[in-house]
Amino acid sequence: MNTKSKPLTKEEIENFGKELEIIRTEVLAKVGQEDADHIRKVQATYRYNEIMGRLLIHFSMDPITFALGTSMLGISKIINNMEIGHNVMHGQYDWMNDPDFNSNTFEWDIVSDSSQWKFYHNYMHHTYTNVVGKDHDYGYHFTRLSEEQDWKPVHLFQSIANFFLAFNFEWGVGGHGYKVEYLEKPKKQRTKKTLQEYKEVYNKKIELQLFKDYIVFPLLGGFMAPKIMLGNLLANTMRNLWTYSIIFCGHFTENAETFTPKDIENETKAEWYLRQLKGSSNLEGSKLFYLMSGHLSHQIEHHMFPDIPAARYEEIAPRLKALCEEYGQHYNTGSFVKQFASVWKRIFAFSLPDPYAEKLMAA
Amino acid sequence: MKTFPFKYHKTSDYLDYFNPKDWFNFLLEELNPVYSISKTRAKIISIHLETKETKTLVLRVNKKVFRFQPGQYIPVTVEINGKRVTRYYSISSMPSEKNLRITVKRQKQGLVSNFVHENLQLGDFVELGEAQGSFVLPKTLPGKFLFVAGGSGITPVYSILKTLQNQNYIGSVKLLYFSRTKEEIIFYSELNSLSKKFPSLAVEFILTDEDSMGFKTGFFSREMLLELVPDFSDRLTYLCGPGSLQESVKSIIPKEKLISENFQPFLKNSIKKDSKQVEVTLTKSHRTILLNGEKNLLEELEDNGVFPQSGCRMGICHTCACTKKSGVVTNLQEGSESESGEETIQLCLSRAEENLELDI
Repeated sequence: MNTKSKPLTKEEIENFGKELEIIRTEVLAKVGQEDADHIRKVQATYRYNEIMGRLLIHFSMDPITFALGTSMLGISKIINNMEIGHNVMHGQYDWMNDPDFNSNTFEWDIVSDSSQWKFYHNYMHHTYTNVVGKDHDYGYHFTRLSEEQDWKPVHLFQSIANFFLAFNFEWGVGGHGYKVEYLEKPKKQRTKKTLQEYKEVYNKKIELQLFKDYIVFPLLGGFMAPKIMLGNLLANTMRNLWTYSIIFCGHFTENAETFTPKDIENETKAEWYLRQLKGSSNLEGSKLFYLMSGHLSHQIEHHMFPDIPAARYEEIAPRLKALCEEYGQHYNTGSFVKQFASVWKRIFAFSLPDPYAEKLMAA
Repeated sequence: MKTFPFKYHKTSDYLDYFNPKDWFNFLLEELNPVYSISKTRAKIISIHLETKETKTLVLRVNKKVFRFQPGQYIPVTVEINGKRVTRYYSISSMPSEKNLRITVKRQKQGLVSNFVHENLQLGDFVELGEAQGSFVLPKTLPGKFLFVAGGSGITPVYSILKTLQNQNYIGSVKLLYFSRTKEEIIFYSELNSLSKKFPSLAVEFILTDEDSMGFKTGFFSREMLLELVPDFSDRLTYLCGPGSLQESVKSIIPKEKLISENFQPFLKNSIKKDSKQVEVTLTKSHRTILLNGEKNLLEELEDNGVFPQSGCRMGICHTCACTKKSGVVTNLQEGSESESGEETIQLCLSRAEENLELDI
């Protein structure tokens, strides 16, 4: 796998790790009122947008009001998914002792079941980040993104499949959950036996979501049910497209590196930090962009410190960038357009067998 | 027939999930936190300094009816640096009073008591929980009472005494109230006024650390008890005070005639760090296990055949995060000790230091 980072000695890696622990301790010491105020403000924004969005959809008599309502509902769903959901479920706000922001009880507004997601994301993905074969998020079982993954004819269609997935991303996130739980849940912690039993958990969440957006709210509008169903569908799609785009930019950009299970044998914490850096990529933008991305714009910082309240990644970034420069490590970042384009380049390139894939990637 | 939308859910499940009350409550709280319909909040309308280290907070509760029995305590939650922290305080007012009163003594290293003394102002809000505790009057009142209180242990006793007076109790009530010095006696003038209008009540103020005119000096002992309350075996005794007083009284007054309350259920000095075993109660699994307190909780629980959800086992994924209801743990990553109250901990990073209750 080509890398833009300088190879480091074992000692250099351990020192790198030590510096990161210092950053971690310093930032964690600051976590307090500011962070509690932030997540509460975000929660209020999410609630207002959902209330206004649904009201506008409901009472709109013209396409402009309808579009405004749909957008506001879409924005509320994005905030619920990203800045609140993803971050709360990582345990970033557990220290608050506030039941509204507790990772054990939080359930988000998408078809994915929170507990299944937490398993494959918090544990599997963050522990085995970009390890082909162990990190099931790498390609989500249907997309080839690196030479380490064997090419199959079905990969020829992965560009179309991804296009389709983007509009329906919440279903991908949800469906991935029960499969990974079935495959990877440690024997002694298993409470279910068959794949179908794990699927039932997912089905249960689907029922909840479908009932909410496509039965209850439409029925409240009486004969306007079709309009409300459409509005909710558009809002969900808007969220799907946004989350797909941001999330795919996290590990599938051009220079994000992959690893093999052998690479992580006896991995130290410092080596884990380095792998997080090499496997992740950032997005540059405005503060509002960072917020709407749930701070996954700072994918590198998030992967190094998944349980630090995400808004803090903005202050960690310059320190991390400087540290990477000092150690000759590539800090993968770019504008949203550039990074997203490189993701599509990668999806398209690796849909072809290896010699062609490498040629295209080099172009 | 089990079909969408009722294949996996009942109507009540949907109501729980949609939680319209919670959304309505959100809007109310945005207007004013006191309008909350789901949380019990109280505004601090008055603050009195009872002694140098003790403050009474007079609280106006946002609920029309706030039920409690005299002698009970309530969980009080404040937000300190973004973190919600809860402590239990005995109610020093009686149910028939208009406002709720709690009396807080400053503890040396106490996070919340110091916050109450230094930071809380008039007009601030605190969150309250339901009143609890069995330090209450029996349904049928006995003919004679004995109250033994030490330090801030007077708070629930004061509530009970006012109630007895309010109910025109005609039996005999004796109070032995131990304080270190004259200045540290809480409710000194109030107790004197109370005994004036309550002929059944006789109050004895006893100082343990100094001699002062008009006060008895000494520690609780059989001799003192025989001298001041010779008929103590005929009395129902209520005891509330620090561990040392508890020990002395419990060695003399039999269990059947004693109702006691200890403010610090897990005394740090009663379970030493190098003592072998700690009891860990798993509230959801309804079992108690003895652990060694040597390795982290996750490993020790697994050694005992309990396999909580876990993941990376290195403090990153939070899969093993669960609620510790009570007890102190050490965070092995930070090297710091937790508080003894309810909070979320990661099992792979925590080592038990004393008896714990875990919500798993």
